[in-house]
Amino acid sequence: MNFENNLSVKLKGVGDGFWVTLNPLAKEAKLKKDISQLFERLKHLAINAKVVIDIGDGVGYDELISNIGLFLKEKFDVGFVSQSPRKKSKPLKRIRQRDLSKEWAHHRSDVLMIRGRVRSGQKITTKKHIVIIGDINPGAEIYVGGDIIVMGKLMGQVYAGYPNNDKAIIIAIDFKPTQVQIGSFIARELNKNSSEIRAKFACVKKSIVVIQDYLKANPFKDIPWPEVI
Amino acid sequence: MEGRIIVVTSGKGGVGKTTATASIGAALAMEGNRVAVIDMDIGLRNLDVVLGLENRIVFNIVDVVNKKCKIRQAAIKDRRIENLFLIPASQSDNKDILSTSGIKRTAKTLKKEFDYIIMDSPAGIEKGFENSVVAADEAIVICTPDVSSIRDADRVIGLLYARSITPKIVVNRIIPKMVAKGDMLNHQDIMEILSVELIGLVPMDEQVVISTNIGLPLVMQNDSKAGQAFKRIARRLNGEIDLPIEIPISKTGIWNKISQKFGLTK
Ligand SMILES: Nc1ncnc2c1ncn2[C@@H]1O[C@H](COP(=O)(O)OP(=O)(O)OP(=O)(O)O)[C@@H](O)[C@H]1O
Ligand SMILES: [Mg+2]
Repeated sequence: MNFENNLSVKLKGVGDGFWVTLNPLAKEAKLKKDISQLFERLKHLAINAKVVIDIGDGVGYDELISNIGLFLKEKFDVGFVSQSPRKKSKPLKRIRQRDLSKEWAHHRSDVLMIRGRVRSGQKITTKKHIVIIGDINPGAEIYVGGDIIVMGKLMGQVYAGYPNNDKAIIIAIDFKPTQVQIGSFIARELNKNSSEIRAKFACVKKSIVVIQDYLKANPFKDIPWPEVI
Repeated sequence: MEGRIIVVTSGKGGVGKTTATASIGAALAMEGNRVAVIDMDIGLRNLDVVLGLENRIVFNIVDVVNKKCKIRQAAIKDRRIENLFLIPASQSDNKDILSTSGIKRTAKTLKKEFDYIIMDSPAGIEKGFENSVVAADEAIVICTPDVSSIRDADRVIGLLYARSITPKIVVNRIIPKMVAKGDMLNHQDIMEILSVELIGLVPMDEQVVISTNIGLPLVMQNDSKAGQAFKRIARRLNGEIDLPIEIPISKTGIWNKISQKFGLTK
């Protein structure tokens, strides 16, 4: 949090009220002084206004918050004071700790790993993710509950996230499938006659199966730590 | 030594199984082997016509399997090619008439009497296909340079693998001019998908139709390019594994055949 000008308080107008961000580490007197400085500028606008008090990630400041609330009601006639809803996500610190402690050592990932050519008329079905080291020929079918990774040429029919996991993905080193389905969505244009060999990546975005160059899109570059899927 | 039973199959119909069976069988016999070609396409007999032996049929493979006659009685001896015999299909029965045990028993006897037994399988992967492969030691899968034929060949390869048979591939009906223009799949693209051993490339050749019509084995016509290709396939089967595979080319009359050596293309 950034508190400018040595103030322990920030004030923002939101809708029909005000959002007050406090530095809970500051002394109560200092907070009240800074609040007064900001609220005096509001003049009559503060009267009967709704005020939300936000202390960020801090915990155990309920008394401070209710004191500040009372202070605002008495001194500036604000109407209604509430606390900002707690964020649902785990504190960043704990996520980091978990990942540093090697989450993958405690979780089993459900992956079926296969080597060799999958031929026409063959059908591989699994609830897991699948990694195939080899080619998938035209006429072959892969139906999996999770993701599909093909270390080879994908020419057959593939269905990731079967039957309705739209978050599943498909990656192939040479992506030339006859048909692609992810969750409840079927890919429309596949351009399988292109002769160039490119690693591609398919996922569902806004109810459409999007196929992108895998290296260019680099879809997982923003996941800061390895996580188990 | 026991003879080898080789099934010629494809999945898709009309790709040249019967032509290949007749030609490879005849070529193997011309190389000095005792050869029986057997028409397993029960109800749709063809092999006799292609070999020009249709007017000499007395018994057929169904009679042999059902012990109505001896192999010797059903096998028609070719008069032009020494050591070539045809056991025809029956035209009236259907495929269910053959029992697996009957076929296996017959196969045992055939292996004692012949060096090569070439089985012409019907199209499809049902009972007729099962009957043709149940006793086979080896398989040749015929495909043509089109997507549906390749897909069916691939399916059949999987089914043969499941029976511990690793088939070899013949690509038939290649039109070099179209391949050169990029209008027809080339054999590299096909083999990339099928990825088993290639044993021959056979060009489209009008002599095939002519020879069928006059009932003269293709491999006896020296000016037939398809016939020559089938002859080389027979030699490869017969042990000349280093014989290079010739790629059909469009320039007629010029003997600058580009050949490519394949070794073991896996
Ligand atoms: N290399 C070739 N060049 C020209 N025509 C060919 C060639 N190979 C086969 N043919 C023709 O294609 C047709 C089908 O051939 P063939 O009967 O051998 O196929 P098949 O696989 O046995 O068919 P089916 O599945 O009906 O038994 C025939 O008319 C044959 O003459
Ligand atoms: Mg036939």
